[in-house]
Amino acid sequence: MIEFIEECRREWKRLGVPDPIANEMAADLTADIEEAQAEGGSAEDVLGDSLFDPRRFAAAWAGARGVTAPSTPDPVGPSSPTERERPRWYRPAAALALAATVCFVALAAAALVVGRHGSAVAAPVSRVLQGPGSTRLFGPGRASLPLRFSMSGPSFAAPVAILMVGLLAVAIIGLCLAVLFWSPWFRRDSNRRLG
Amino acid sequence: MATVDGRRSQLLRGVLDLCLLAVMGEGAAYGYEMTKRLRARGLSIVGEGSIYPLLGRLERDGLVETRRQASNGGPPRKYYSLSLEGKRALETGIDEWKAARDAIDGALDLATVEVMP
Repeated sequence: MIEFIEECRREWKRLGVPDPIANEMAADLTADIEEAQAEGGSAEDVLGDSLFDPRRFAAAWAGARGVTAPSTPDPVGPSSPTERERPRWYRPAAALALAATVCFVALAAAALVVGRHGSAVAAPVSRVLQGPGSTRLFGPGRASLPLRFSMSGPSFAAPVAILMVGLLAVAIIGLCLAVLFWSPWFRRDSNRRLG
Repeated sequence: MATVDGRRSQLLRGVLDLCLLAVMGEGAAYGYEMTKRLRARGLSIVGEGSIYPLLGRLERDGLVETRRQASNGGPPRKYYSLSLEGKRALETGIDEWKAARDAIDGALDLATVEVMP
């Protein structure tokens, strides 16, 4: 419970609430919670579901009282890290997570097409891509770019293996980041850490 | 279609300030004391958020007066009581609630419900 009060204090300080008012609110809150606990209740009896979001609670209370500094953002605005201020690294990390997810899909598709011949879908495609020499992608007679590339032999296998390992590494990192950033646990924890 | 809990929550949010004014009308009270008075009337705030921001707004709007006073053996507490403006707001709010309640009752009373097993 001390942690909840301290989190409120930090938020009030960030919002520019004068110390005497912040002290008064903290004292009232502490006294009420202690009374509830002394009667066999819990902090939730006093705070309701605000117990799980101290920053939002503190901002809403200060905003409702009109004791925040004028330059601070709307104190009763949304508090989730997706809508409020985020760490600077949030956007690049989220972008990396998204890109890695795309890499993972590309990796899976490549493995399906190139790596296995057993699948009814993959086999014909693999035969085309892994045929001897080079393969013309576009049919004869069309005025199209004559793209040619080789997909067999050692000169092809080594770069593809490196590419796949790279994609796999990025994908694993990205998936970890995606789980981290978009999990409810992280959102709740962010609310506690931000500020 | 809102769930039963969701509708109850929304209804309570809309009139919680009125309920707070009403329990203050019984006598000055500090925050948790008001929570207990509400609970004694079947209104639990769990899930509705805290009453403190609402009390702050009532104070800012001049609907309540506050004073610090020692409680029973505990630390000094901030007691809230109705101001003259608050009494007027309570009176108006009760009239509005009753009018809305009667209108809704009128609509719901017309409904015939047959739930097929």
